[in-house]
Amino acid sequence: MLRVSQEQETTGGSQTFYNCELMSENNEKKVHGVVAEYTSVDTLLAACRRVRDAGYEKTDAFTPFPVHGIDKALGIKPTVLPWIVLGAGVTGTATALVMQVWMNAYDYPYIISGKPFLSLPAFMPVAFELTVLFASFGAFFGMWALNGLPRFSNPVFTDPRFDRVTDDRFFLYIDSKDGQFDRGGVEKLLGDTETDYVQTVVDDDSSDKVPKPFFMIWGLVAALSVIPLLIVLKMRVSHSSQPRFHVFYDMDFSPSKDAQQYSTLFRDGRAMRPDVPGTVARGEMQADLDFMTGIDMNALSVIDRPRADRLVRSFNPLYQAEAESAQESKSQDVTQAEKADEGSDSDGDKSGADADKGDSDKPDAEADAKPSVMDTTPWLSSNPLVLDEKVLANGRKNFGIYCSVCHGMNGSGNGLVNVRAQKILAQSWIPPSSLHQETLYADKYPDGKLFSTISNGIRKMPGYSGQIKTRDRWAIVAYVRALQLSQNASIDQISEAQRETILSEQSEIQKALKEKADADAKAAQEKEEKEEKEEKEEKEEKEAKDSA
Amino acid sequence: MSEHSAPAPKSADDPAFMLPASLAALRIPLCVGGLIVMLLGWYLANDIGSDGGNFGMSVYLTAAVYCMTIVLGCLFFVLIQHLVRAGWSIVVRRIAELVMVMVIPMGILFIPIIASLWSGDGILYRWDDAGYAAEHGLPQAVWAEKLRWLNQEWFTVRTIGYFAVWTMLALFFFKNSVRQDQTGEKAITDKMQYWSGPAVMLFSATTTFAAFDWVMSLAPMWFSTMFGVYLFAGSILGAHCLLAVASYVLQKKGAMRDEVTVEHYHDLGKLIFGFVFFWTYISFSQYLLIWYGNIPEETEWFYVRQLGTWGGVALVLIFFHWMLPFAGTMSRHVRRKPGLVCAWGAYLLVMHYLDVYFMIMPSAERGNAGGPMGVIASVLCVVGMVSLLTGLCLGLAQQNKVVAVRDPRLGESIAFENI
Amino acid sequence: MSLAIPNGLDNTVEQPGERAPLVLGDTTYHDITEAVCQVAERKPSTSWVIGFLISFALLQWLGICILYLIYTGVGVWGNRSPVFWGWPIVNFVFWVGIGHAGTLISAILFLFRQEWRTSINRAAEAMTIFAVVCAGTFPGIHVGRAWLAFWLAPYPSLNLWMWPQFRSPLLWDVFAVSTYGTVSLLFWYMGMVPDLATFRDRSTNKWRRMAYGMLSLGWSGSSRHWMRYEKAYALLAAFAAPLVLSVHTIVSFDFAVSQVPGWHTTIFPPYFVAGAIFSGFAMVLTLMIPARKMLGLEKLITIRHLDNMCKIILATGSIVGLAYGTEFFIAWYGQVQEEKFAFTNRAFGPYWWAYWTMVTCNVISPQLFWFKKLRTTPWMIVSVCIFVNIGMWFERFVIVVTSLSRDYLPSAWAYFSPTWVDWSMLIGSFGLFFTLFLLFCRLMPVINMAETKATLAKQYHVSNDGDH
Repeated sequence: MLRVSQEQETTGGSQTFYNCELMSENNEKKVHGVVAEYTSVDTLLAACRRVRDAGYEKTDAFTPFPVHGIDKALGIKPTVLPWIVLGAGVTGTATALVMQVWMNAYDYPYIISGKPFLSLPAFMPVAFELTVLFASFGAFFGMWALNGLPRFSNPVFTDPRFDRVTDDRFFLYIDSKDGQFDRGGVEKLLGDTETDYVQTVVDDDSSDKVPKPFFMIWGLVAALSVIPLLIVLKMRVSHSSQPRFHVFYDMDFSPSKDAQQYSTLFRDGRAMRPDVPGTVARGEMQADLDFMTGIDMNALSVIDRPRADRLVRSFNPLYQAEAESAQESKSQDVTQAEKADEGSDSDGDKSGADADKGDSDKPDAEADAKPSVMDTTPWLSSNPLVLDEKVLANGRKNFGIYCSVCHGMNGSGNGLVNVRAQKILAQSWIPPSSLHQETLYADKYPDGKLFSTISNGIRKMPGYSGQIKTRDRWAIVAYVRALQLSQNASIDQISEAQRETILSEQSEIQKALKEKADADAKAAQEKEEKEEKEEKEEKEEKEAKDSA
Repeated sequence: MSEHSAPAPKSADDPAFMLPASLAALRIPLCVGGLIVMLLGWYLANDIGSDGGNFGMSVYLTAAVYCMTIVLGCLFFVLIQHLVRAGWSIVVRRIAELVMVMVIPMGILFIPIIASLWSGDGILYRWDDAGYAAEHGLPQAVWAEKLRWLNQEWFTVRTIGYFAVWTMLALFFFKNSVRQDQTGEKAITDKMQYWSGPAVMLFSATTTFAAFDWVMSLAPMWFSTMFGVYLFAGSILGAHCLLAVASYVLQKKGAMRDEVTVEHYHDLGKLIFGFVFFWTYISFSQYLLIWYGNIPEETEWFYVRQLGTWGGVALVLIFFHWMLPFAGTMSRHVRRKPGLVCAWGAYLLVMHYLDVYFMIMPSAERGNAGGPMGVIASVLCVVGMVSLLTGLCLGLAQQNKVVAVRDPRLGESIAFENI
Repeated sequence: MSLAIPNGLDNTVEQPGERAPLVLGDTTYHDITEAVCQVAERKPSTSWVIGFLISFALLQWLGICILYLIYTGVGVWGNRSPVFWGWPIVNFVFWVGIGHAGTLISAILFLFRQEWRTSINRAAEAMTIFAVVCAGTFPGIHVGRAWLAFWLAPYPSLNLWMWPQFRSPLLWDVFAVSTYGTVSLLFWYMGMVPDLATFRDRSTNKWRRMAYGMLSLGWSGSSRHWMRYEKAYALLAAFAAPLVLSVHTIVSFDFAVSQVPGWHTTIFPPYFVAGAIFSGFAMVLTLMIPARKMLGLEKLITIRHLDNMCKIILATGSIVGLAYGTEFFIAWYGQVQEEKFAFTNRAFGPYWWAYWTMVTCNVISPQLFWFKKLRTTPWMIVSVCIFVNIGMWFERFVIVVTSLSRDYLPSAWAYFSPTWVDWSMLIGSFGLFFTLFLLFCRLMPVINMAETKATLAKQYHVSNDGDH
């Protein structure tokens, strides 16, 4: 490190510049190096080569624009920037893919527009964008970091003449840290090149204090920017008994009506509009009431005439005009009747699988006294459809669409909605029933009853008569029976042709299961032994310690 | 910049601009051998499948479309260099010019394809089969409209039209360029630049429709507006690969050693890298849109190509037509090694064949690849056709220079340096 | 020093084998600095003040409309069943398209070593960013509850228990446009740092010097810095080039992955990209021609620059024309009833006027650029470019509105009419755009001085070589 004395006072950041001779005699100031000014690329490059050939290594050129060939003339090594960028880009791709796969295929899987959870083609655009984003960040920030910028104080800036480096002047600089730096020699070397101006770069002696207003503004902005954040945080942790402020009232409270609501718009005061009297919705004209209700109507009319009449009226459009005047609509009627059925079913049928989960609104005493309507109803015991492969396929399709979300694709009651509810620990969730309970088999739960349950709902399950066509509901019944059979079928029920493959598959699975069980047992045993051993060792150690 | 002043271009008669004798000697064997191998492959392919020569014709079409795409790619390369008044590419432009003239022999090689249309009932193109509509349960009205475009006469006229346009373009640019070798007139360059604009427009319109006619109509009811661009993307990639390979081989044999420098390989490498990306972009976009829309009329094409062996080929294309060359040509260090650029070029030329194969062959024999024999026959046929064209191209090269020796920008091209 | 009068050399004529100069006159490095800096240093001209006041007033009007929209609901727009994607999306796609030219000039032309980009790239990049700002506004307010727009981001939410839907093209679009905005901003800013350092070193006012000093990050022009800087610039260009393709590609996916006839077609990605470049260049020319006159930059932004840009407009316009034709052809060739109807309806249905405006402006008007006379006469260029801008707006209108207004359910068919809010927002978005652009002209270096000087250095070098 070289220190020179400096006589002349250099106060006040004056705009005078000193030539090198004067400078050398000035009072003590740290010398950073020597700089020379050039007016063209060619003179600069010539000087660079000369300095390089003289053996200087810690050199640099300052130019208003990138000068090609200067890296060779100065011996500058290539940069590692491309590798940083490559790393950043790969990180971006990986981040995007992991994020999308995890979010859409594992943590929150749901089906949209029929695409698989893990849809790689659909994940490509975002993967590409994040690759580019990360790589660009790598290039941008990597470049500044490698350049050591931002750096607002730089000794070369002390010379006002250096301001022209961003205009039209070229500077060559030799750093004092260079091994063979010798001020006189360097000045002579530079002086011999085509330059009019050689200058020693010394420490910046202007005040290094940042102006006060700067801090004030900075502090004020910082303080203000925290306020919204604090408000949000406070809102998140505090509770209030006041209803929240509705900025957009009609967005929070939509003027449209919900089902069963009151409306002053119509004379009857109901928001829901019944079918126009005397009309039948497309595809709903059905004369066969057994088919529509799942009940043997002839038998019902013997047991419970009023209910049979009610059902006839509610399903036959010809009666609906009459029903309308009597303020008895189809929906009301069915709801009443079936709600009653449902209630009595869950209360009365103690042996029923659903009894434990049933509504407990109804007083027990009443239920004990009366036999359930659900039990006394003469349900159809067989499916009225002619069962063939097509019907079952249809049942399967509709089961997949409507039922599987709760009951699961195999009917075990573990559909996506249930999984999700369990995961987020939803409070009021009643798990859907498994369809593989003996109480739900055809002998205890006739087809007609199953059909009625699908149509009108049970407990938390809503009725699906509105969404699923009658024929499809029967197809679902058939498919549910097939599902139940699939869990209990014996090998004799399989056709000869398929039996062999099934048996071989079965034996393979059993073999695999056995192997796994063996391996598990072995592992468990080993683990136990190991633990025992460790325990023993620990004990011994402890004993040894104790005795010591 | 100033450290090296550009070497002045050599005189036009310098042996460095002539086709090396060792290559010139190959032209007759390549032509004859190529023709034999091609016919052998075709003959073998004809024995496969039961559909009256459909497999054989498909194999032949694959080879022809493959060669055609590269020839057209070279034509486009020449047009675009004139259009943008490029300087760097002069030293390799003549190679592309020689290849683009091969559009004339390609026209002759296309005769069997047209002949198959006239001789039989849908030997190659299914729509030519009178029973097609009934077999696939297509409504009469729809089919009648379709046949207004897809019929023997109109198809033949269009094909002749495409070849006429391309031959005209290729000959115009080739003849002028060769004339400049003699005279060195700058006005010729001006003239070629002047006409390159309309030429590019003609070229784009014809290639788009040629792709629809020759390849897309193999599946008569399928359509994709992107298809022309898709074929074009592979085509221009193939042309750049060919330029890299050809320059390397020529240099190895002693021609244009001082003219084509590492800088030119670097540029070709960049363009190869870029067009690998472009091909991926186009083919992925086409796939994504059809996959996402999931409309049966459109998914049929990809459905066939996702099953069995073709699914495997699709994966090979993803990994080896995109990922591997993409990663391989990404680095500047690779692109600045002529040997490596040439190797990647040759590799991608093979992959481009697989791409064309994947477009055409699944439509043959209802997606049957024809077993090992079918693959061997396909390879023989394309190798034969490529050799035949290479032989013809060498013949043409021998009569001319391999570099545009008096192009006014030759000096600029030789001196050019990447940043 | 005056750069107002070019020296009469026609640099659009280029002798093969020689390159015509891109900087005219006996310009020195210092002249370039002066020419560019004076734009920001001298007092604003009257035309600037008037322009700024008009734009700023329009911007205020846009703000009022946005507040009115948010407070009342999106019903104030003309978006009605079945056209729920009305003007806001048309405007969005229009502005995103405009935003493509900047990065194209900066990145793709850079990669193709087109040196004429240097004097126009800065302003074009700035335009890109301002156009993306305008574009981003529309989907932002279209979501209805604009203050919940952050739901689009994949952040871990304790309230929702869910993640965004990455299989939706609309979410891809969020990522694409925001990445594009960010990368363009980085690219623009990085390119500007050396020029900001020039501003810093020329400033006489302490505060000005401090502000530009902070913005220029202590740039000293060191060769080592320049080397890494150039590397980073080349790398950013290499990313921005495919990025620019991807953005409009993904915008096209918004339409093309659906099954709406007229939207679902595979040519959309390249066709949208070509259209975007087309409209972007037209907008660059519309702005640059008056700007070069007003700011006195005719020696730096020469007729040759304009000529080249016109050629690009001609090329992309022709690609767009080819794509229109291909779409029509395939609609007939494919023989799918809905597609056939959608295209016939476009040309001869109730929106025939929009369709033929589009074709006239986009396909026919750029063909005028075959004539050199038109490519080199500034006022003619501006007129054609304004037509192109109108045409490209109508292209998006045709795509969005004609397809939606005639969907699969004939009973729902309806004619779309914009409301006064729609009109105001379209005009107001131009206010936003021009306000930002005019501010940019005053505060930032409008031309890339460093790169222009490098071009000039090369020019010197070539002419010196010629002397030997």
